[in-house]
Parts: sequence; structure tokens; C-alpha cells
Amino acid sequence: MKKFLLFIGVLVAATLATNEASAQIQVGKGQISVALESNNTYYAKDKTLEDVGLIKPEERVRGDFGSNDYLKVDYRLGRFSAGVQVDGYLPGLYGYDLYTFQQRDSKLSAFITKYVQWEDQNWGVRLGDIYEQFGSGLIFRTYEDRNLGFNNSLAGARAYYNFNNMVNVKVLAGLPRLYDIRVNNPVWGADLSLSISDMAGWYDGMISIEGSYVGRYLNTKSPRDGFESTLLNMVSGRANFEYKGFSFRGEYAAKLNEDIFHASFPNSKGSAVVIDLGYNYKRFSASATFRRQENMNTNIMLTDPAIGGGNTFVYIPILTRQHTYSLANLNPYTSCTSHVGGEIGGQIDVYYSLRNPKVRSKYWNFHANFSMFNTLDHYKYDIFTWEPTMEIKGRNAWIEFNVDVERQWNKQLKTTFLYAFQRWDQALAKSDDPNEHYCTSHIFVGDVTYKINKRHSIRVEAQYLSSEDYQGDWVAGTIEYNFAPKWSFFVSDMWNCEAMGDPNHDADYDNYFDLENWDDVPGENLLLHYYQVGASFTHKSLRAILSYGRNRAGYVCSGGSCRYQPAYTGANLSITLSF
Amino acid sequence: MKKFMFLMMALVMGFTASAQSLPDVKVENQEGKVVSIKEIVDGTPMIISFWSTTCKPCIMELNAIYSNLDEWLEEADFKVVAVSVDDARSVSRARGMVANWDGYTCLFDKNQDLKRAMNVSLTPHTFVVDGNGNIVASHSGYTPGSEQKLFEEIKALK
Repeated sequence: MKKFLLFIGVLVAATLATNEASAQIQVGKGQISVALESNNTYYAKDKTLEDVGLIKPEERVRGDFGSNDYLKVDYRLGRFSAGVQVDGYLPGLYGYDLYTFQQRDSKLSAFITKYVQWEDQNWGVRLGDIYEQFGSGLIFRTYEDRNLGFNNSLAGARAYYNFNNMVNVKVLAGLPRLYDIRVNNPVWGADLSLSISDMAGWYDGMISIEGSYVGRYLNTKSPRDGFESTLLNMVSGRANFEYKGFSFRGEYAAKLNEDIFHASFPNSKGSAVVIDLGYNYKRFSASATFRRQENMNTNIMLTDPAIGGGNTFVYIPILTRQHTYSLANLNPYTSCTSHVGGEIGGQIDVYYSLRNPKVRSKYWNFHANFSMFNTLDHYKYDIFTWEPTMEIKGRNAWIEFNVDVERQWNKQLKTTFLYAFQRWDQALAKSDDPNEHYCTSHIFVGDVTYKINKRHSIRVEAQYLSSEDYQGDWVAGTIEYNFAPKWSFFVSDMWNCEAMGDPNHDADYDNYFDLENWDDVPGENLLLHYYQVGASFTHKSLRAILSYGRNRAGYVCSGGSCRYQPAYTGANLSITLSF
Repeated sequence: MKKFMFLMMALVMGFTASAQSLPDVKVENQEGKVVSIKEIVDGTPMIISFWSTTCKPCIMELNAIYSNLDEWLEEADFKVVAVSVDDARSVSRARGMVANWDGYTCLFDKNQDLKRAMNVSLTPHTFVVDGNGNIVASHSGYTPGSEQKLFEEIKALK
């Protein structure tokens, strides 16, 4: 801990010493840049949460302090660049999948990624850790998301060649990263993109066709009974079209070998269709996405039980609106890919902006969104035994409609109003009882920002969730006071203000690693306040956020993937810095 | 750990600081074509802002710049480059939202290659870049009113 603080101190001093945070360090003719991110939590004792079983002190196996840290150093000289990133878990924060996979009490862990790269006019080569995506990522995507503790970079080689923007070829191969180990299951692939419009000399719009192939070989044998295939092949074909505000993107992908889940799965090959339509005209825009996918979730390593969202090199995001207000995110859709084999559905977004181009400080923005997903498979499976637990064919897993209106009245005042209707299937999401009913929520949010003068502003947010199901009604509020450009202070509270109709209803607090305790707690004891108080400071590229509060157990979602965060009370310090 | 501290100290003490230039990274433009970020360097200074559809302060910052744009352009010549880091899930939503910001150059960094190359950890993150593609200032976070600082930095480039 001491070392760590010293380390941070040195970095902060380094930034201040260079005076210009954006300046970077010159070494010969090359340049070095450095970025640091450090997320620290001190876990406090909270008897209220312990009494209702939401905190189990015996699960705090790594002590009361956690720290996820990332230090990245890059060197660049002309077309050459090289870099190294150190991820340190000192020890890791609770709620990251890293520890559902590893020994849960391991104190310290670190992982280093590195690369060298040459980027020429029309071609490039990279050795080391590779972040790449083919098309929308349906059969291949390696990326990093620190919110989720996710990084599946491929250690290997990648090369690409681009011929006059008409033909673009990429090839790559390597070993994927799974949390903090490198898995000896090689993954390789190739991607070809042909720009028809460039070939035809048509520059008013864009037409392209693309195709990809990805393979994976299993060196580490699956512990699941009956699973025998070691080689997996996946292909994808895509067509893209854009002309005068209209866009079409279509993709078909298939998993050609049997893979995933249990051998008793009725159909172990996979396929997916994604269609994306967009239209923009002046200040109106609309987009619609349709997706049908079955058994396309592909693991880096086959393990029993499943080990969280990080065990994949494909990207099948949850296609619903990711909300920024806490109550609209209280029970997010977490997709039918983990223990239910597939889904069909989509979403529609419509935007309209009403504004006078001469008066930029006054406008209305309207936005509506609709999303819906149904299950495709016959059964839901137990994530430990892979036995079918429930018949689910054709069930509606999720439906949502939301609308928000933003009004900038003048340079000082801005208001936002949001309404969302959400309905999710409790049987699919949380239990195995097909008679469990749908949970319906109506969510209302009002948000006002008032700029007092050039430096001072205040933001107030009020939210209400009305529901007859699950955890009943919630209210939430936030007050934020800003001193531009450096300081911001906030207090917030989220309160489960009314239990469901039956006060003895179960507190099924959705921790599926702890199923046996679901029925122990009467609902009324869960009428808890989840408060937060905090401050943030920014100076050039340094940002520090300090907060203290109680955090609800639930899903933390980022970029279409989610992780389960257990409840805790504590202090957080997050620092990001680059120079 | 010690080695890193020494490295940091050595870097700070031993070498001079100079302006960083934009990396050579490919992103998608509004028409869906792949372009290098270096291609947008044309002698005009710019504000490059990394944003996403789920980052409220990012959208507030881009809206605040938008509200002031006419007045600011009377005093200084510059352009605004909004780089969306939305991935395949929400990039079509991002394409819809940028319709509100006429006059901005909008780019899409779907697998966050540019974000990684420019060492952006959290959004919003804003850079002020001179006409030759040198980064002269970098800011993390947004509080209402801090857009004035960006404008002052743009004006100082004259």
C-alpha cells in the first residue's frame, strides 16, 4: 500500500513537473507517452448489509482493500512504435470475474502486455498483443474494457495490406488472454474487405463486401462430458451500403463445428444474422438493428462451470439501450447467451432535433428507443451441471420502450426528462420456475442543469421507479455542484422505498453463486438506502475521483457486456493520468 | 515496482518535454470510410473530443461547445472533431446523435484503436491540436464552464 501511494505520488509529481500535461517526453528523435489508471476501494464494515446477508464477511478473503491498476508506456519514432502495459491487481477489487476463475484468495497478481508495430503507408505489421475486430466482432473481437476487468488481447502477430482502398486484407494468429493467464488454445483468422465503390470509381456513396474466417484449436481439454471436437471454424460474410443518409449493414456468421455448453445440447453449431439500417435526413435520424443468434458465444477455454464474461473472443453485445440513470439501469437485460442458447430480437432508435441554426443555445432533442428479445432455444440450462432446467421456447425475455426529451432553454438552463417501460422475465433471469411472472417497471427521471455563471453550475437529478414486482418501488436523487474547470462535488441516494405487495417476499438478490441463501431475508429488511458522497478533481490530463458510499448488488454494464458486482460499502479513489 | 519509479524519475529529469504529434491510426468517417486521423490535419487548429453515447458529460461538453461555436469562430479559426468510441453495439446510435452537431467533423473509433494510441483512459477526454497536428493541451473530465479553457487554448495558438 505504501509503495503504491509512493508510486502514485511520483507519477503526479512527474505530471506537474513537466508543466504541460500534454507535452511528452522526447528520447532522441522518438517520443514516450505514459498513461496510468488506478482504481482503489477500501471496504468498510456495514452491519446493515451483513444482517440481511448482502455482505458476507467470510467472503472478504482478500482483506478490506482492493486496487486494480494499469500503467501503459508507449514509444513512437516515425512509423515505428512499441509499448508495454502492466495490469496490477494489488489485490483485485471484489466483483471482477478474474476472481471467480482464479483462486479467490490470491493476494497479488499482475499481467504484462506488450507490442512492437510498424505502420507503413499501405501496410502494417504488429507483433505482441493484438487488439482487432472483424466486422462487428461477431466472430472475432479482442479488446480491453477496464470497467468490466476485461482484456482478451491475442499474443501473436498481425499483418495487413491495403491496395488503393479497394482491397484490404488482414491476417492474424496468437494465443488469447483470459483474465490474468495466457491460454494455450491458439486462435487465428483472416479478413478480406473489398470496396466495390472505390473499384467502380463511385464516390457519392459506399458499397463494400467483406468476409472473415476464424479458427480455434483446443489444447486444453474440456472437463465437460462427451465434448470431443478440438478444432473450431467460424466464417462471416458482410455487405455494407451507404448513400445519401441511408445505410445498410448486413452480416451472416456461422460456427461450422460443434462447440459450446454441453454435448447434450440439441444443436451445438451456431449461426447469426445481424441487419443494421440507418437513415439520416437533416435533424432527423433513425436506426434499426435486428439480430438472430444461436450458440454463437465462443469461449477461449472450456471450463466447468462457466467463468464469467471475459472468457470469449467474440463480441455479441446486448442490443438494448444502455442507460446513464441508475434506476433505468437497475435491472438491465443481460442477454440470453450465457445459459440460454440463443435469442432473436432487435431495437429501434429515433432522434429528432428542433433548433434554429442561428440560435445555437436553444434547442429541443427528442429520442425514442424500443427493444425486444425472445428466446430461441427449447431449454434453459443449469450453469453448473448443464442439465436442462426449464422449457423456454419462444419466451419473451425482454421488452423496453423509452423516450427522452432534452431542452436547452438558454445558455444557463437545461432540462431532461426520461420515461422508460421495462419488462423482463424473472424465470429466465433469476430462477428456474417457469411460473415466475414477468417483472414490469415504469421509470421516470427529471434532470436539471443550471449554470450560475461562467464557473459555477449545479445539477439536480430525481428518479422514480414504480413496480409491483421483484424489489418494488425505488426513488433516487443526485445533487452535483461544479466549480469549473477543476472541482465537482456530489451527493446521491437510491432508496428501495416500498417493498413488493407481500412483505415476506423473498430477497432474491440475484447472486447466482449463492443460490441457497435466496429465501432467507424478508423483503422489508431490504428497504435500504444506497447513498454516495464524493468529489472529483481534474487538472489537465489528471483526474481524481474520491467517493464514499453504499453500493447495491447488481450488474455493472459497459459496452454491451455486464459483470455482477456484489454489494459493498466503502471508499473509492480513482486516478487517471497521462503524459 | 522500484524499476518503474526510477524509470519515471529518469524520464522526468533526464529528458526535455516537447509537443506530441497525432498518431497514425485509422478510424471511420461519417460516410463509413476508413481514414487516418492524420488526414484531418489541414493547417486549421482543432479540438478533438473523445465521447460515447453512454457518457453524459461528453455529450454535455460537445453541446456546450456547439452553443458557443458561432461566437468563438468569430474570434479564432478552428474545427471540432468528435471521436465516438462506441463499439458495434451503439455505433449506429452514435451516428444518429451526431446529426445534432452540424459543423463538427465526426469520426468513429469502433475498436478504440485511436483511444488506446492517444492514452485516453476515461471519457470525456479532450485534446487541443495545432494546425500541424501537434497536441498542445489535454484535458480529462468535464464540468460546465470548462469549455472556456479549451477556447482560450485555441486562441493562444494564433
